Amino acid sequence: MTKIIDNIFANSTRLIAITVLFITAWIFTVLFQESLLSMQTFGIDFVTESKWAPNLEKFGAFAAIMGSVISTFLAMVLAVPVAIGVAIFLSEIAHEKLKAPVGVSIELLAAIPSVIYGMWGLFYFVPIVRDLFGGIGIGMLTAGIVLAIMILPFMAAVTRDAMNTTPDILKESAYALGGTKWDVVRDIVIPYSKAGIIGALILALGRAIGETMAVTFVMGNVHKVSWDLTKPATSIPVTLANEFTEADTDLYFSSLFELALILLVISFTIISVAKFYFLRRKRRS
Amino acid sequence: MTATQKRVLINRIVMGLSTLSAAIGLFFLFWILYILVSNGVEAINWDIFMFEGAPPGYEESGLKQALVGQLIIVGIATLVGVPLGILAGTYLSEYGQKSKLAETIRDISDIMMSAPSIVVGSFVYAIMVVPMGHFSAWAGIVALTIIMLPIILRTTDDMLHLVPTTLREAAFALGAPKYKVITQVVYRGAKAGILTGILLGVARVAGETAPLLFTSFNDNFMSTDLMEPMASLTVTMYNYATSPYEDWQRLGWAAAFILSMFILGLNIIGRLVLLTKKGK
Amino acid sequence: MATICKVSEEKALEIKKFQFTYASADEPSLKEISMPIAKNSVTALIGPSGCGKSTLLRSINRMHDLYPGNKYEGEIIYNGRNILNPKEDLIDLRINIGMIFQKPTAFPMSIMDNVAYGLKLQGIKNKTEIKDRVEKALTDAAIWKEVKDRLKHDANGLSGGQQQRLCIARAIAVEPEILLFDEPTSALDPISTQGIEELVTELKEKVSIVIVTHNMQQAARVSDYTGFMYLGELIELGKTEELFVTPAEKLTEEYITGKFG
Repeated sequence: MTKIIDNIFANSTRLIAITVLFITAWIFTVLFQESLLSMQTFGIDFVTESKWAPNLEKFGAFAAIMGSVISTFLAMVLAVPVAIGVAIFLSEIAHEKLKAPVGVSIELLAAIPSVIYGMWGLFYFVPIVRDLFGGIGIGMLTAGIVLAIMILPFMAAVTRDAMNTTPDILKESAYALGGTKWDVVRDIVIPYSKAGIIGALILALGRAIGETMAVTFVMGNVHKVSWDLTKPATSIPVTLANEFTEADTDLYFSSLFELALILLVISFTIISVAKFYFLRRKRRS
Repeated sequence: MTATQKRVLINRIVMGLSTLSAAIGLFFLFWILYILVSNGVEAINWDIFMFEGAPPGYEESGLKQALVGQLIIVGIATLVGVPLGILAGTYLSEYGQKSKLAETIRDISDIMMSAPSIVVGSFVYAIMVVPMGHFSAWAGIVALTIIMLPIILRTTDDMLHLVPTTLREAAFALGAPKYKVITQVVYRGAKAGILTGILLGVARVAGETAPLLFTSFNDNFMSTDLMEPMASLTVTMYNYATSPYEDWQRLGWAAAFILSMFILGLNIIGRLVLLTKKGK
Repeated sequence: MATICKVSEEKALEIKKFQFTYASADEPSLKEISMPIAKNSVTALIGPSGCGKSTLLRSINRMHDLYPGNKYEGEIIYNGRNILNPKEDLIDLRINIGMIFQKPTAFPMSIMDNVAYGLKLQGIKNKTEIKDRVEKALTDAAIWKEVKDRLKHDANGLSGGQQQRLCIARAIAVEPEILLFDEPTSALDPISTQGIEELVTELKEKVSIVIVTHNMQQAARVSDYTGFMYLGELIELGKTEELFVTPAEKLTEEYITGKFG
């Protein structure tokens, strides 16, 4: 009797664990199937054309894809230096008594839902951008900045964790040769934790590119590629969030599913690179 | 200037810049927190808990439907996702260990934890909303469960792994079957860690908006029918905040404040649980 | 009270009524320590773990300053000045007083860059000068022959014993006056240990050495003077051959005969 229960327990845990693989595969399959109509209709034009006209049944995702790329790039350019600065501050400069409270508040801020960053951006940041750069304040620039602020805590916390893996004794050796803090950070901490830092930054990139709510409020959802960053624009998640409930034809839906599939493939790839190339989990010994 | 003086000077500059960037980062973050609290405290009152949503301009309007909906959706997702996640994590730590299957599940879960949640929403839309013909609370629950599962699975896996092998061996030596060793000894040893994992996992899905936008959708009125669309704090917040009506926007801030306090509370409790365990 | 012998040599350092308190502690971890460190000789510090020997060593190059809140009292006189003075230039101090750690600490860079690191920090840019001084340091650290063909290789590819000698080369490349060894062989195998010990005795021609060790035989083999510490106090400092044969203090005798420790 005990043996039977033992077996049932073991097998049901395995079955549930495998469900994770099953759901992941299922998500890919369903998104692919739902995209088929759009793929057959538009082929490669779907990713190269920027004309997105639901009334004409014409869907080109170039503007949305470029929007994702540009807003994420902007966010990374703004957030990476600050995040590295925060990480250096937390791991090397801050007084012991400051490290814990500042570190924890940054982690807590990383836990605040992105919808709140978006709401803050809409009400408090859009007017500032409007006054400083002109335009209506809603657009690529605002989205990039809000996205940068939203990923900053996560990025800083993971970068700090990577830097903290540098053994104290290694740092002490460099100080013992007369190094300054910056000498030690530049020559010891960063080279030692390079892989971890790059992994942390790429992981943050993977999150940023799929982030929906922080940018949906402030992007504008206009399918147009413009070099004027103050103009309203769109990105893949913004298009999905705005149009899924509006779609009325099969082709419209299929095009949105293809967008979702493209987003999933992009972020899946980026996150995999971060996790498996740079942040290789310590295999259990 | 000697080489050392130059180094000291550069050091001062870089350390200054780094401290400045920390200050900039913290400034933005505390600014958001301040906005959240000041708007939230101003907007919050008893009516919010007493009344359902109403057209703009109505005196008696509140967030009752969104609060109840949020509790139902996140509550059921937790009730389903937590046991499944714990059992799956148990497989990884106790049975699969370093096997290829277990490692693959770990890798995929790690990726899914960071994958865009809006994609999960569109997946659930295809498998539930389309066949059923309408939005429903169930669809939202399924979306959140899918997001929660890998989080609980990986924390359980990690926490069980921390339980010393000797503890398991001691239980086996008494002749206990494996499932009893796991449920009665290993789980107890990892209790605090798993609890923290659950709290952080719930906090994480409670803030999700994107996967609910086109699954559980929204409803301005009180509903407890899981087959029908249901309001949530997050989607309500989004709809109200993007509306042009000031009283709706105020309700949006109230929702943002309540949700953030709930999520920060869960995070803080989760940390305290781990701390008190370490303190022992 | 402690028995402190006189040193016949010139003094490299003079520690006077030195007390040290960690930030997290109420009581001082080192109490009223006074001792000379002889020039161009090896002074060993022995004692049971937790006696404060490493803490004392790390005070000499102010390593404790890396962690805030630690407190020094008393004096450590070096070149006529008290290095515990808060205004002391720590960079300059640490260039003159080098340190070798419990574990090899090869930096994540090439063998060449490891040894050149301290030189580059001092602003030496002349490539030939750097090369010459790296070669000299590696030769003095008795590792030149083993690494001369792979100077560009990652230093982490060396064995533990080689890495430790590399660290010694890195420390002596900047030509310090004093070298501090903090249990330098505790992570090494017996053969590498022997190599490091021989190196220590050779190096004293050029530098004054303080070595902390948990191994009494090692102290007896390499040092000219030995200090025995217990519970944060210096119990006895003597010429090594005298301290191990005819200790003046009863505690020292009990420790070296293995009654405790």
